[in-house]
Amino acid sequence: MKSFDKNMEKLKKEFVTAYHEKERAEVGKEWQINVMNRIRKLGPLPARTDYFVLFRETVWRFAPLACILILVLVISLIKLDFIPESELVKIFFNNQLEFTLEQLFVV
Amino acid sequence: MHNDSDRLSDVDIIRRVINGDVNAFEFLLKKYREHILRIVSRHIPHNQVEETAQDVFIRAYQSLPTFSQKSGFKQWVSGIAMRTCYDFWRKHYREREVPMSSLTEKHQDWLEKMISDQSSNSFSEKGSQKEAGELLSWALDRLSAGDRMVLELIYLEGLSIKEAARLLGLSTANVKIRSFRSRKKLKKLLAGLTEKKRRET
Repeated sequence: MKSFDKNMEKLKKEFVTAYHEKERAEVGKEWQINVMNRIRKLGPLPARTDYFVLFRETVWRFAPLACILILVLVISLIKLDFIPESELVKIFFNNQLEFTLEQLFVV
Repeated sequence: MHNDSDRLSDVDIIRRVINGDVNAFEFLLKKYREHILRIVSRHIPHNQVEETAQDVFIRAYQSLPTFSQKSGFKQWVSGIAMRTCYDFWRKHYREREVPMSSLTEKHQDWLEKMISDQSSNSFSEKGSQKEAGELLSWALDRLSAGDRMVLELIYLEGLSIKEAARLLGLSTANVKIRSFRSRKKLKKLLAGLTEKKRRET
């Protein structure tokens, strides 16, 4: 058994060589035709709805449009000299004596 | 169709097949035919290779909607080929439709010479390659389907445990155990053969 263990590596080398020298199968055009015939018989694959992929594709499709929209909004806000409501509230609290709510919103 | 397909990537072709263009699959079949035949030829008896390779492509076609693109198509279809070979051996061991290989005096002599301490010559001088191949087939036939596949991938092809596990769809722990067990079995089988020869002489 000791000699067997010692020579096992040598044997392994021979087996590896024999294994890699195995005859490789060659197939012709007919083989390919047969595979395609079997596949055609199976017909088209059933549609599979992957909601995550669908969501991802939809989001990216609308991404350029969203960017353009944001840009247009920012430009228009700058051009219109828009003052946010928080600014109005700040003005009101800083000048309580000069402004009333009526003045602020009705005028 | 083919001129058009040559410019498309595998992913584009797969998308076309999934969307109902069955004929587009022929491009993938043509591109990976040789690769699959090479894998199947190594694991399956020569007369069963054509049919098994056909099964690989049928399985690949049916599983296309599950192709995740994380790995390339080549890697993915190689895994399918390996599992189809594994299934072939499982079916074969259940039904025993392929006759088990048997050994002659010549094989036993060859093994005896190979493992004798005096022998340091190379394989080509020692005997025929045919005998080594037949002896290996004999030993592999006596292993279970799983052990056989693991032994072929790790011991004979030199794949890592992780790679073998991925290709066979098994856990690394399972492959590790099978690798150890199958090597031990192979050694026991060959040692038994030489013992038998010694007793006879």
